[in-house]
Amino acid sequence: MQNNNQRQPDIPVVAGISDPILDGIANGWNVRESTEVADGSVVEADVIIIGTGAGGGTTAEILAKAGLKVLMLEEGPLKSTNDFRMDEREAYRDLYQESAGRMSKDGAMSILQGRCVGGTTVINWTSSFRTPEPTLNYWSEEFGVEGFSSADMAPWFETMEQRLNVAPWQVQPNENNSVLARGATKLGVDWHVIPRNVSGCWNLGYCGTGCPTNAKQSMLVTTIPAALDNHSELVYSARAERLIMEGRKVLGVEVTALGRDYQPSGKSFVAKAPHVIMACGAINGPALLLRSKAPDPHKRIGKRTFFHPTTFCFAEFEQVIDPYYGAPQSIYSDHFQWLEVSGKVGYKLEVPPLQPGLTSVLLLGHGAQHFDDISKLPNLHAMIALLRDGFHPDSEGGSIELADDGTPIIDYEINDYLWDGVIRSWLTMAEIQFAAGAKAVRASHVDSPWFHSWEEAKAGISQLEFRSNAFTAGSAHCMGGLTMGEDQSRCLVDSHGKYHHLDNLYVFDGSAFPTSIGANPQLSIYGMACKQANKLLETIKASA
Amino acid sequence: MFNTSRRGFLQLSASSAAALTVGASLASLSGCSKVPVANGYKQLRAGDIEFLSALAPVILNKSYPGTLADAAPERLTKALDTLIGTLQEYSRGQLMQLFDVMQVAPIRSVMGAQWGSWSDASAEQIEGFLQDWKTSSLQLKRMGYGSLCKLLTMCWYSQPETFVSTGYPGAPKKIPA
Repeated sequence: MQNNNQRQPDIPVVAGISDPILDGIANGWNVRESTEVADGSVVEADVIIIGTGAGGGTTAEILAKAGLKVLMLEEGPLKSTNDFRMDEREAYRDLYQESAGRMSKDGAMSILQGRCVGGTTVINWTSSFRTPEPTLNYWSEEFGVEGFSSADMAPWFETMEQRLNVAPWQVQPNENNSVLARGATKLGVDWHVIPRNVSGCWNLGYCGTGCPTNAKQSMLVTTIPAALDNHSELVYSARAERLIMEGRKVLGVEVTALGRDYQPSGKSFVAKAPHVIMACGAINGPALLLRSKAPDPHKRIGKRTFFHPTTFCFAEFEQVIDPYYGAPQSIYSDHFQWLEVSGKVGYKLEVPPLQPGLTSVLLLGHGAQHFDDISKLPNLHAMIALLRDGFHPDSEGGSIELADDGTPIIDYEINDYLWDGVIRSWLTMAEIQFAAGAKAVRASHVDSPWFHSWEEAKAGISQLEFRSNAFTAGSAHCMGGLTMGEDQSRCLVDSHGKYHHLDNLYVFDGSAFPTSIGANPQLSIYGMACKQANKLLETIKASA
Repeated sequence: MFNTSRRGFLQLSASSAAALTVGASLASLSGCSKVPVANGYKQLRAGDIEFLSALAPVILNKSYPGTLADAAPERLTKALDTLIGTLQEYSRGQLMQLFDVMQVAPIRSVMGAQWGSWSDASAEQIEGFLQDWKTSSLQLKRMGYGSLCKLLTMCWYSQPETFVSTGYPGAPKKIPA
């Protein structure tokens, strides 16, 4: 109980920051809470976009600036700068799916996913990577995706990098990230600085609870305001319940108005437009199509769902790490990522920020051991490995099913193929942590003790037993479920993002990815949505 | 080697699923799931609060009740109540089923908790119960263990009053413009 509790690090007071959303609303933006829409009414627009995350936000700006009236529907609440007080309790409740307690069906995977205006871009850790070339090539070779070569995609990535101010982080990494750089250097493992989508970042460390300084260039402070400046409308706390279809056309969307408690308020309305774009993520997107009984001749909706299953390895250091302060992710290593493209699973190494609520979950366990671990928080470092799933016949991904009330159930199994990667990733991380000077290292598995040397860890980690729910498999990246490609027996949307079996339904988000990305996916979504929204615009103009 | 042990787990897990399903339906027959939620709560019933309050000092160890003292159980169970209310149907259903099973002594006993009521169980007994679930070959017990620990620790260690026990100096102060 006495652990460092009197320490008062020199951290800034965040003051004098404006709230661009409140300002915009005061200046007449067309923004409504769903319960303000008259029960049973019809809201019309040129284009409906379901979801306001990376895909929806990017698309909204492009279409709105071209003069289309865009209606943005968002299931989550509208929270903005003044609400972002770096408090885990408020953030998980207001900004995350299921209060950050979202889990796979068997409880073995914990999933962090946004649920607010701006989607996951409001709560992600800002890492911005272009889709790796081997991933794009794999999509083309295996799924017949067209127009997605590195050269095809480069201008779209460049456009979005400029739009969102993506650049390698120029500031000294925090100590939590430095451990990765230091240990990797000692071992001859290559590492690089992470490009981040920030502008005037204060280096606070609270990207995950909503940026309190407007520095993170999330959809909330960039593309959504731009769309609202251009005659578009946003209705939040509005859950797309069902697509209304006739033949090959989507006529509209049935929308449930959610109350302040995030439960259905009893009110509903219908949104109508000639074009409907789904950008509601790899879990809720497939669930919406399943609920709608959308045409799906090969039963592909919700299949090939990927998560970058993420393993955790903790290390204790003599020196203070303060793993909750400073830009959460600034160093990465792809050294173990592309040893084989479609053989044993590859992984990307990064570090996570360690605020106490989240850390207590990742440490696993209970009682004296758990308390002992978490009471070392200021001296703890953690490393993560994101397993690149979806590139092997034994990695077909999970699936999305529906519960009785129509909400999604996420079925995903860590199988033997992935477990091999789990063990290898723990070994890699432990070796790097010891090389960086760790006193002790522990894999996030309930049976793992603290190891006091690399030799001890090497022997011990190899012995850890596979039991589902006994180790942390996390995910902050939901991908797939509505596979993109030209092979209609395996794919649901074409290379332009149009749903194969409907004429005016589009999917512009990570659910269209045929595999996981092999990198934090936000820039992959931005680039793809930018390309596809511009293509859709051409189509709309041509038919006008 | 893995294949053998994995198949073993799957079989055990099927039988435990059966045990839990039977348990849950017995619990619902006995009227357990019809028990109204506790006053001031939206999900949890009096028995659930008793169960969670009994687990808390064992799971949270020396950090509990900490400076919250007598206010700790209510702070924790209210936070849990809010979180559980935002879970989607499947997860919430599984969790409430687990709570149901923990309410009915004979079923609870089959699942490794033999005492009359949760408030009668000693810390040693609860520790034994948690250890059994943690290392069990039954997937449902491991899932129960994992979910309970995750939910309790997440709700607890995000409370500012507990920062003193982890050494977390706290977030920067925000003064809205």
